[in-house]
This record gives sequence, C-alpha cells and structure tokens, in this order.
Amino acid sequence: MQPGYFPANIIFALIFFAALGFFSFTVYKLYRILRLGQPEDRFDQIGRRLRGVATFVFGQRRVIQEPAGWGHFLIFWGFIIITIGSLETFGVGLYHGFAYWKVIGKPLTAILYLLQDLLCAGVVLALVVSLYRRFVLRPERLRFSDQKAANLDACIIISLILLLVACLFGARGAEYRLTQLEPGRYFPSAAFISVAVSGLFARLSEASLVVWYSFFWWIHTLVILGFLVYVPFSKHLHILGAIPNVFFRRFRPIGELSKMDLEDESVETYGVSKIEEFTWKQLLDLCACTECGRCSENCPAALTGKPLSPKEMIHNLKKHLLAKGKLLTDAKINPEGCAATELKKALAGEVCLTDEIWSCTTCGNCMEHCPVFIEHIPKLVDMRRYLVLMESNFSLEVQTVLRNWETNSNPWGLAFASRGDWAKGLDVQTLAENPEVEYLLYVGCTGSFDTRAKKVTAAMVKLLKQAGVSFGILGAEERCCGETARRLGNEYLFQSMATELTELINGHGVKKIITTCPHCYNTLKNEYPQFGGNWEVLHHSELLHQLLNEGKLKPRRRLDKQITFHDSCYLGRYNNIYEEPREILRSIPGLRLKEMERCRNKSFCCGAGGGRMWMEETLGGGIKRSMRLAPTKRWPKTLRLSESAVHTVPPCSRTASRRRTKKRR
Amino acid sequence: MEIIVLLKQVPDTETVIKIGEDGKSIATSSIKWVINPYDEYAVEAALRLKDSQGANVTILSLGPQRMVESIRAALAMGADKGVLVDDPAAEGSDALGKARVLAAALKQIPHDLIFCGHRAVDDDENQVGIMVAELLDIPHLGLAVTIEMADGLIKISRPIEGAKVQLESPMPALITLGGAHAIWQPRYASLPGIMKAKKKPLEVKKLADLELSPEQVGAAAAKIMVVSLKMPVPRQSGLMISGDTAAKAKELVRLLHEEANVI
Amino acid sequence: MTGVCIIAEFRNGAFRQVSFEIASEGRRLADALGEPLTAIVLGDGVTAEAATLGQYGVKKVYLIDQPELKDYLAEIHVPVLAEILRSVQPKVVLSAASANGKDLSARLAARLGAGLAQDCTELLIENGALKAKRPVYAGKTYAWCAWTNGSYPQMASCRPNVMACSLIDASKSASVETPAITLPAVVKSRIVKVEASETKVDLAEAQVIVSGGRGMKDPKNFALLEELAQLLGGAVGASRPAVDAGWRPHADQVGQTGKVVTPTLYIACGISGAIQHLAGMGSSKFIVAINKDPEAPIFSKADYGVVEDLFQFIPAFIKEVKKLKAACG
Repeated sequence: MQPGYFPANIIFALIFFAALGFFSFTVYKLYRILRLGQPEDRFDQIGRRLRGVATFVFGQRRVIQEPAGWGHFLIFWGFIIITIGSLETFGVGLYHGFAYWKVIGKPLTAILYLLQDLLCAGVVLALVVSLYRRFVLRPERLRFSDQKAANLDACIIISLILLLVACLFGARGAEYRLTQLEPGRYFPSAAFISVAVSGLFARLSEASLVVWYSFFWWIHTLVILGFLVYVPFSKHLHILGAIPNVFFRRFRPIGELSKMDLEDESVETYGVSKIEEFTWKQLLDLCACTECGRCSENCPAALTGKPLSPKEMIHNLKKHLLAKGKLLTDAKINPEGCAATELKKALAGEVCLTDEIWSCTTCGNCMEHCPVFIEHIPKLVDMRRYLVLMESNFSLEVQTVLRNWETNSNPWGLAFASRGDWAKGLDVQTLAENPEVEYLLYVGCTGSFDTRAKKVTAAMVKLLKQAGVSFGILGAEERCCGETARRLGNEYLFQSMATELTELINGHGVKKIITTCPHCYNTLKNEYPQFGGNWEVLHHSELLHQLLNEGKLKPRRRLDKQITFHDSCYLGRYNNIYEEPREILRSIPGLRLKEMERCRNKSFCCGAGGGRMWMEETLGGGIKRSMRLAPTKRWPKTLRLSESAVHTVPPCSRTASRRRTKKRR
Repeated sequence: MEIIVLLKQVPDTETVIKIGEDGKSIATSSIKWVINPYDEYAVEAALRLKDSQGANVTILSLGPQRMVESIRAALAMGADKGVLVDDPAAEGSDALGKARVLAAALKQIPHDLIFCGHRAVDDDENQVGIMVAELLDIPHLGLAVTIEMADGLIKISRPIEGAKVQLESPMPALITLGGAHAIWQPRYASLPGIMKAKKKPLEVKKLADLELSPEQVGAAAAKIMVVSLKMPVPRQSGLMISGDTAAKAKELVRLLHEEANVI
Repeated sequence: MTGVCIIAEFRNGAFRQVSFEIASEGRRLADALGEPLTAIVLGDGVTAEAATLGQYGVKKVYLIDQPELKDYLAEIHVPVLAEILRSVQPKVVLSAASANGKDLSARLAARLGAGLAQDCTELLIENGALKAKRPVYAGKTYAWCAWTNGSYPQMASCRPNVMACSLIDASKSASVETPAITLPAVVKSRIVKVEASETKVDLAEAQVIVSGGRGMKDPKNFALLEELAQLLGGAVGASRPAVDAGWRPHADQVGQTGKVVTPTLYIACGISGAIQHLAGMGSSKFIVAINKDPEAPIFSKADYGVVEDLFQFIPAFIKEVKKLKAACG
C-alpha cells in the first residue's frame, strides 16, 4: 500500500475526493443556511478588509493580546505550514514521484521543511500547554455550561492534531532514512527534528522503512481528511468562519446601532424573533466563534453570576441556527407543517432567556476582545427590540422609565419645565437668548437633575467661562437624547426623541456640541447623523484637554492625592478616549495617578449601561458591589480601587458613590 | 360584549401648575397632556375583559381636538374604536353637564359595560362617571380595585375605610376605577399596536349629533362653577420646623391637621 | 328652600367620626344662614344613636332604620335620600367625603340635578349662598367654587379630619322622625361581601406612607414607623438602602425601581432623598422629611422638614398625633 503507487493512489484518490466532496457539501449546506439571513452590505472598502485579514488573521493581532494567545499563534501557523505540507503529501498520494523540491528547488524546500519541523514541534508544545490549561489550570473563560461536551470536543481535536503531527514526524523520519538508501530522493537535513526522529528507524531494512513510511503516511493523511470532515461539526468550524468574519468585520463605530425603518407600513414584525431574521453577517458570526471565552471573561454580567454569558449565548444561537437552518433548507420539509421543536422555539425566550437578554449592560468588552470580531451587542439589541416593540415584554421598572421619557423627556419623570433649573444663579445664557455662540453645552438628564451631577455641570460652566469659551445651553427646551431608550430596544421611542432633538438643535443653527456624559456623547456623535444631526461633538474631557494644551486653563491649586481613573465604557471602548482624561489629571500638581489592573479597554463596567441603571439587579451578585473587591478567585482581575476614583460617567459615579458610602460604613 | 371606556385627557402629574390670567383656570403653556391615570386603568381593565371574554372596546371622550392623541394611545393599547365629542358649546359645563353629553352619546352606542376612572386628576370633580350611570338609569359600582366577570354578572371589590366590599351587578352597568398604577399595570402599547391605531375608526361628533340642546350643557347650564384658583400655602421650598423636639412634634401635627388637612 | 341638611354616615352600629364633623360644620353654616340644621341617617340599628346628633346642634334627624340599609348600596340609599331631600328641601346638603360618601353624593346630585363640590376642606356662606374650597390638580392648587343663583340644593362633601367638630351641648337631643318611604322594590346590584380589612394597608393604595431609610440603622427600629403608620391608617415603605441591607422586603421599596406611590401624606424618616427615591414619591401631596442632616436633598422636596434625630422625634410626634385623635371625639 505504498502511497503513490497503484492501487494505493486510486484508493487514496477516491478517499480524498470523497472527503473533499463531503466537506464541500457540508460547506455548501452551511452557505445555504447563512443565506437564510437578511441582506447586509459588508462589501465596502475591500482593500481595508483585506488588510484586516492580514493583520487579524495572519497576524493574529487580537489573539496575542493575551499571553495564552501565543499558543494559538503557534498552532495557527503550524496549521498553515502543515496544510502547505499536506498538499505535497496529497501529491505524493497520487503519484509517488511528486515532490516539492522538484518544483521549487532544494534550497527553498529545505527552508520549508525546517519551518515545518519547528512549527510542528511548536504545535506539540502549544497543545500540551493547552491541555494543561484546560484540565489543570481551568481558567474561568474556558468554563462552559456543557463542560463535558466542550472538553470532549477539545480532546478530540487536540488528540487528532497530536496524532497528525506524530505521524508526520514518523513519516518524515522513515523518509529520511529511505533517502539515505535510495538515490533520487531528497530530504533536507536542515529539518533537524525529522532527522532526529529518523534515529528511531536506524536499523531497519528498506522494506520495513517503506512499510513504516506508508503506515505513517496513511494515518497522517486519513487524520487530515478526517479533520476536514469533522471540522464543520465542532468548534473548529471557526477555521471556516473566522477568516470571512474578519474580512466582513464592522467598520461603523460600535456606538452606532442600526436604524430600523419604521416608516415602511408593510413591515409586520420589528426586531428579531427568529434566527433567520438576523442578517447573514450576524449568522456568520456564529460560525466564527472559537469558544475562547474572552468575551465572557470580561463581561460584567457573566462575572457576577447573571444568566448572560456572551460565549454561551453565541454557542446557543449557533446550535439553534444549525439545527433550524438544516430544517429550513431541507426542500423535503414544509416548515408550516413540521412539528420539529426547533422550528417552533422562540428566539427571545427559549434559545436565549429573557433574563439573559436583559442582563447586558452594552459595555462592549465582548466585542473589544473577540479575536474574530463577533458582534454580540447588536444581536442582543435586536432581540430586545422584538421584546419591547412587539411583545411589550419587559419589567415594570422599564415601563416606568419609558413612560417617563415619553411624558417628561427624562428617566425620572420630573417636570420637563424644570429641566433648566440647575442653571439658576449661574449666569448662563440659553441659545434662545443668545444664538451666536460657538458651542452648545448639552447637559443631559443626569447633569440637569441629579444632585451630584449638577455640581459637575456647574463646574463645567465655570471652567468654560474661565477659559473664555463661547457657549450656550438649551435650558428648559433641552430634551433627553434618548440613548438609553435605544439600548433598551425601544427604537420607536428613540427615533421620535432623536428626531425632535435634532430638529431643536438644528433649529438653533448649532455646529458644535460639548457634553459631559459619555452616553449622550456617543449617541450625539455616532447615532444622530442617522437623523440629520451632523455636528462636531466633543466630550468635556476632550475639550478641557484641548484648553489645557492651549494654555486657556491652568490648574492653580495643588492636590496631594493618590487617584485612579475609571474608564467608562462609552468613552473608552466605544470612542477610544483614554488619554485625554489622564493627561488632565496628570496636569494637576500633586496628583498621583495610579492605574487599576483593569483599565483602558479592559475597564470593568459599572453595570449601569444598556438601560440596566433603571432595572433592579435581582440575579447574581451586584456588579456595583463587585467593583470594590480586591482580586479574588471568583473575580480574578477586578479592579482595586485606591482611595478615590475619578469617573466620567454620571451613572458610574452614582453607583460607585453608593459603594463608597457602604465601604465607609 | 360591548365595553365603552370614558376617557379624559389631563396635564401630566409632574406639571408645574401656574394659575392663568383669569384667576380660575391654569396656564396651559408648558403642559404635557396624558390620559387621566384612572381612565388608563379603565382601558386596561376593559382590555383584560376583551382578552379573556372577547369584547369590543370603544373609547368615548368629551373635549377638544387634542384629545385625539390620547384616544389614539388607548387604541394603540388595544381598544377598537374611538368617539370624540368636540363642541365648543359644551365648554364650561359642570360635572352634570358633562355627564349629560356623555350619557347622550352613550345612548347612541350599544353598551354592556361602561368603565371610567373615578376621578380626573386635574379638576378632581369625582362625580362625572357616577352621574352618567344615574342619567342612564343603570347600576354603578364605584372605586373598583378588582373587576371580574362570571355568569353574566360583573363583580368588583372596592376599598372603604377599614373594609373591603365586594359588589356585583348584571349588565348594563357602569364601573368607576380606583387603585393605582402598581395594581392595574396598564399595558405598554406595542409598535404594531401603535401603527394599527392610526387606522382604527375615530368619529368626531357635535352636540347636534347627540340630540342634545345647548341649553342643557355649557357654562349657562352649570349649577356650580370655579370662581377662583388659589395656590396653597408655600410648598416649593418647604417649611423647616424649629424648636425643641416636643415643640416641633406639636407644630408638625398642627400643620398637618390645620394647613395640610391630612390628619 | 331653607336650612342645612347633613347626610350622616352610620356603620357597624355607630356614627363615623366624620358625621360629627359635618354636623358641626352644618351648625356653623346654619348659624351663618340663620336657618335650621337637620340630618338624615340611613342604617341598621340607628335609632338608638340618632338623637346624639343633637349634641352637635342638629335639631331634627330623619332616619330610616332597616336591615337592608346596613351597608351602603347606591341603588337603595340614593333613591331614599333623594326622596327625603325632596320633601325637606334644604338649601345646603353636606355629606362626608368618605369612600361611600363621595359615591352617594355624586349619584344623588345627578338625581336631584344639583351642583356638587367633592372633598371640600373649607366652607363658608357668602351673600346667603355656599362657597366651597377644594383641592385640585393633585392638591397643587385649591379651587373656590360657588353655585349659580337659584341652584338648589348646594351639595358639598367634606373631607374627613378637617372640619372642626364642636360638641355644643352634651345634654341636647335632636328630635327624630321616620319618613314614610318604602325602599326601592327592584334592586339589580347587590353586596356580595363586606370584609373588615387586615391592619396592613397595601403600599400601592395607601394614602399615608411612613418610610424609613438608611437612617433607621436597624430593622428593629422600623417598629416605630409601623406604630406611626397604624396610627395614621397608613403603610410602611422603605428606601433602597434599607431594602438592600435586608431590613425590609423589596415589596416595600419606594422609588424608581421599587413602587411609585402617590399618597396624600408621605413621611420620610432617615431618608436622604436621592433622585431615584424622589422619582418614586415626588407626586405625594404632602411630604414630611425627618433627618438629622440639614443638607439632605430630601428637604428641598419636603413641604415640612424636621432636622432632628428621628429616634427622638418620632415618639414625640406619635404622642402629639394621639393627642389630636383624642381631642376630636
């Protein structure tokens, strides 16, 4: 059964084409399932997309942000090299005389074989480490609800790869020895590991060597082809899904949620209640998941015992997609008449529990750290949209806050006519009084009504005046930006609020806006263009930073304190503002800035985003409480807060202040 | 089964009230108009019966054009059609005048049950609903906090001081609703509901359509009227009570009894 | 048309306190008019007590004493009252603005074609006619109402616990008469059950709420608030920190994410007044704040503020409330 000779090569060809055919068919079925999804245009900026593939797939940029990611780097490149080598192996399987050195020359082949040796050894090392991590270290992010299945899947893959590599070395070792004995064969001695392995075959006869070589060759080849067939059915589906997913990744800011078309009267359903109502790209996401767990590792809901774990959610959606998709694409099945439960499952409610859907704070940690650019948040918001707009299925607290926005344009339902009262005695003009100003200071609900936040607004006014900045406010005319209504899924309410506010602001001829709240900032900057609001929007830290640099503001007093800065989600991860607040703090004499362990794009969410501010936290532990814990086994890298923390977001500061008062007691 | 809900539009309860120039009505400049909360509970109660027993729910309102918005909001919750009686001749009516208009309109609409809030949170007259029942000569069950239907009878429970009373009546009957938001939890309209509401029938009628003559309603026919509105003793910035503990306690009790009339 | 007539409320074998209040008020109005004061009482077992109304200045009581009148049912009581009033023909009719009182007053006014002012807190006679003051817009404003010329009777229901009740002469008895009126033969509605309430009032329905916050320091201390609440006929609420600390159940939480309440009286004890709490009780008619910290934000929302240690103040307050209750009959 020596490979490349009759009848082995015919048998091989049959097996090879069968495997390839089966694989292609599986891929084709997957493609058809993806086609069930709704249209979405991700074909813009092809050049940038290709560069993204180079950076994030071949460069493994996000993967290696974690030390353990280097293991995957090795495995990934090992896999590439093995694939390149496999082509030679298959060539040999068809005709024994085929060899790379005959095509690309001996020097290049030597380099290739050396690389193969090194990387395969690297792969073995990485796999051993990964086994150690999975079964001994057992980090949080590898935890899974169906742990047995996940571990089994991992073991199968790891075993297969180890077997594959072992056979590769075995075959090579035998081949090297054969090369010593047969003329016309070439095996670069540069591939020193293979050469070392060949020592095992030192005293064998040529016939034995051929047998060993064939044996290893066949096992190696069958494992590869078996792998090819198995991949789409395991988490290694990500091998197929990840590259396209990275190619089609999102360029729009994550702070810009999609705008629903509410004008179209023929539309009968809003939001997503069935898996096929997601776009094809959202479905592709599910096929790209590597189950690395980095999303859940950083998720404030998952870390505090809420039903939501982004990894589990993606996994459940994937399972459902594949099961339901299979039924839907089967021409023999009539979906209406079919009794299969998978067809009847409610997406929001059964595949994903409503508690799961409501647990999300939209902090963006999942999307920031996902190596394959899965977009978790838009899926959750789409399901929320269905729950809110179609079923009115939400808690009484959410109903209260929605009504409050509708009636008084603020979440507490306080009289809208009193919105401008914070400015009494501060000598600030409204735009109605004086429209000829450079900036609109958009105060927001918290800045207008909350006791603590009003002090921030007043301080901001003072600083702007000191710096001689020309600005005005809307005063009692101001309306809520509606950001949270959109996060809660009430797109209808949001659109009416956004349309109203845009008209109001544009009616005053405003070109530039300053705001103190990162949520208002994010929506005014990234989402209001959907409604005709195209302004230059600055967060107050950006402006203050600018004013400091221009010398228009100078810190006068010394403040001898140790302080840390908590990056709010909507400023940091959403809008990449990390340095400006820090530089402002550093410019204050005497202030010592210490960084928390989780800072910058790993900052731990305060738990108030995504509308959660307005909901009771009844499940799991308190996100707000967990903010103050020292590192524990349960929450390994939560922040350690020094004496005082500086926050940029009104909700963050309020939840943290409750925490601090508790601590003081 | 035909259920009619009497619906009024009132200023949102958070509105800062300012007395208008005439001294007997409020300034309407910065008012957000909403469905009277008790009428909203009435809509919810009607819709619950619709869900469980099947019924047509009609919204009937008396007032100016702006009420259409609130009628549509009730339609979005699930009511089937609306009727608005909008006639300047009815302006200035006292409670009895308003009840006459509503009763006349109701005579033209088949009804098994009439639901309405026991009072409107603006003028707090607390009588129109019951007066309608009297004019239609049907039983009324007032201040309901629960409503059930069984064996063709409508049953309610209502709180009185120190007790809960259960009443029942055959139909047609009028129910006024008490309770609170946490008890009734009026449903939030779904978006399809809002869209459909735009197309549901909403009739506008005049007094002439109701076979009512202007002398029976309006300011001229009123038996009672508001002659002036007064702001209460300064409320905005609060009164800090001073003195020693005993004196403060005494003063607080006095204020609550004499000024606030709450104990 | 002459005289003032009060519709007294009789339940469980006795006059309710408010009946004496409206009797006293009726007396004051009758004196201002220089006209007689009468009363109507419908109930079961009223005969023994009826004459006591004379102690408050009532000259004559029209009573009907029958078992069918034991509990209020509009279909029976209102036609009977209407018939009596049509023969007595008073200028002014006063009733209690209790749950039953407001109910019957409305139906009666429609039946008589009269103008009615509900829930009045002050009454006076001006130019021989009644003028009534009552709260409107959730108590944010008061309206003075007057009746048009020649519109009789002028009907007003009086808010309980407001009108001063003045015992004039403990020896006086009113004369008593039973009009010859038959109860309505056909009555469609009926009373199924009358259940005395448990002492606990539901937070969502309560007209008086006494609420405790972080300042309560210990769950045991809520007993003080429960005593006060019971005295005032109200319920006990809690702010978020008290619920978070496990002192009170979540069902008692007043606030943005707890219950939004609109009582007539809200007494906040040891509550700082964060905005989420205010969102839950800001629409209360009257807010009293008791807090040691003069800077507490709740004072800016309170109608009456007491800067005091609540453990000192509340017992004193309870004492004074008890005194008031004793004073009025």
